Amino acid sequence: MTEASDQPDLELLSVTKRFKGFTAVDEVSLKVRRGEFVAIMGPSGCGKTTLLRILAGLETMTTGQLRIRGRDVSDVPVNLRSTRLVWQNYALFPHLDVFENIAFGLTLKPHDKAVVSGRVKAMADLVGMRDFLDRRIGQLSGGQKQRVALARALVTEPEILLLDEPLSALDAHLRLRMQGELRRIQQALGVTFIYVTHNQIEAFSMADRVVVMNAGRIEQVDTPERIYTFPKTHFVARFVGANNLFEGRVSAVDERHTAVACGHGTVTVTNRGATPAVGETVTVVVQADRMRRAAAGGPGENTVPVTLKGREFAGSQNIYLFDGLDGTEIKLVAQESMGSAAVMAVNASMTVHFSPEDASIIGYAGPAAAPAADAPAQAPAAVSAPPVQAPPPVQAPTPEPAGAAP
Amino acid sequence: MIAGDRNPWPALGRVFLALSYVFLFLPLVLLVVFSFQANRFPGLPLQGWTLAWYEKMIDQGTLLPALGHSMLVSPAAATVGTIIGFFAAYALNRFDFPGKTVLLGIIALPILIPPLILGVAFLGLLARVHLNGTLFSIFLTHVVLVTAPALSVIQLRLSQMPRQIEEAAWDLGATELQTLMRVVLPFAVPGILGGWLLAFTFSFDEFIIAWFVSGFDQTLPVAIYSILVASMEPTLNAIGAIVFAISALVLIGIEVLLLPLLFRKDTEEA
Repeated sequence: MTEASDQPDLELLSVTKRFKGFTAVDEVSLKVRRGEFVAIMGPSGCGKTTLLRILAGLETMTTGQLRIRGRDVSDVPVNLRSTRLVWQNYALFPHLDVFENIAFGLTLKPHDKAVVSGRVKAMADLVGMRDFLDRRIGQLSGGQKQRVALARALVTEPEILLLDEPLSALDAHLRLRMQGELRRIQQALGVTFIYVTHNQIEAFSMADRVVVMNAGRIEQVDTPERIYTFPKTHFVARFVGANNLFEGRVSAVDERHTAVACGHGTVTVTNRGATPAVGETVTVVVQADRMRRAAAGGPGENTVPVTLKGREFAGSQNIYLFDGLDGTEIKLVAQESMGSAAVMAVNASMTVHFSPEDASIIGYAGPAAAPAADAPAQAPAAVSAPPVQAPPPVQAPTPEPAGAAP
Repeated sequence: MIAGDRNPWPALGRVFLALSYVFLFLPLVLLVVFSFQANRFPGLPLQGWTLAWYEKMIDQGTLLPALGHSMLVSPAAATVGTIIGFFAAYALNRFDFPGKTVLLGIIALPILIPPLILGVAFLGLLARVHLNGTLFSIFLTHVVLVTAPALSVIQLRLSQMPRQIEEAAWDLGATELQTLMRVVLPFAVPGILGGWLLAFTFSFDEFIIAWFVSGFDQTLPVAIYSILVASMEPTLNAIGAIVFAISALVLIGIEVLLLPLLFRKDTEEA
């Protein structure tokens, strides 16, 4: 992420695409290293496919600049770009066989047939389609079509390969295999991959870095681990994984911890980097699999009183749904077998716990909420309406966690 | 549905199908049969086999040259109409431009206007520019007429083409022209052949406009009409049988020779 010495392979500078009435891609800036595998992830309609088409040259941008290996390619037409796109539906040529499909990009200029044939065969070897070169496209399975589409793009030695949800048409088993294959091929060739998907498992298992997009904007760019563990915005926290979000107001900050008064009492969160100001409205994020179900929390742990609403047995784990004191839904994922899970009555009251280490704080509702930070500690709730009714600050109905130093 | 319980509907369906075929093909069969019969008028009893009507048709002297003219004008008009139709279909399929619906309407107009009015209009126009009364004038008017059906068949085929395969060709480095020649055209071939056949049939059958603009160089329908006006005789059955044979041969030839060539690898077993 911080290789200033290395020239980025791909550089987006404030790329913006406006259609009539809406902005599909909004001021997107991004740098991608050579040989990096970057996944762009977001819900449908977030602008990720439009962004990919802009990179390919199939769509023009309204404003902004696009650089590939330092060259400004903003105005280079699609057929002269060094990028190749792999389509969701493969877009193979139905009237050509596998060999002719792979060779297509090599036969557009004067060429030596033997050289082309050699390169096509080498690429077919790499993607495991060597035995299928004389097949018609209609005779191939989805996974084989995927391999042909990949070979057709890669045989032309692109500087950047763009992939638009390439695995979404495959069944679950094949998708898993192809994820491994894609990663292997990418590492074998060292080509930069930009991979668009709405599937976080694909993004997390293959990519070096993940870009989370929403409404045309980049929400967060980070490694899969950091995106999963420390989402930076509300959107990322809700879109990625199974996170519990506690809305609240900062009641105290010391050098190690921040205390946040929320609907479940006051919770403490270990500081990371910048700390919010006292009185600021914030959200505490805790992953469902970091919550523990126990009679009493360990020393320094946060305790949340809850009511059991449901439990789901999912093979190797149990998923619990609770309601918090203020009606907020709380999820807990526990790695335990069916038998070891305690028998509990619905609506039973109990407590769940999480360590301050496993929680993180994100800004409340973006920049709009920022001015409220100057308000004194117990200021009335900001007018901005959260999805869950903002609870009045509850003053520690549970024993104050030991770690929360005021 | 239950085994042993015989369902009468499939059998009845087959009977209905057979009746439909009889209804469709009986006139054709009768035409061919009576072209070989000595009867002066079609009817029973049959009076014995003869080739007299074919001889008479050859002796008669206008039908065969007219057939020759038709076999010149119709393929030419079909070919030119198909070429125009392909490019128009490609443009309509690919681009959104102002006046698109208007253009579609104008192209479809020659089919919607009664041929009688169209024929008079063509005659008036061609007479003014001194192009009337020749085979070339029939060719010109038929191109106008057959472009629309050719276009609609080709457009139907092009609309089945995923837009991405064109984009894929550009993305792999192909120019617009290379994409057209190597991706779009091969994909459109079945539509182009179908469009050409339809255009050919439209032109080959067309009587009213050809009757207006042709002079002494008549096409087959015009020549048949001339004979029909003079006398009703079984020579017409003979020419009908020949026209039917030509159409059938063209269609069978395409089925047997051309289609397997085009799709040979599709049917191949792995």
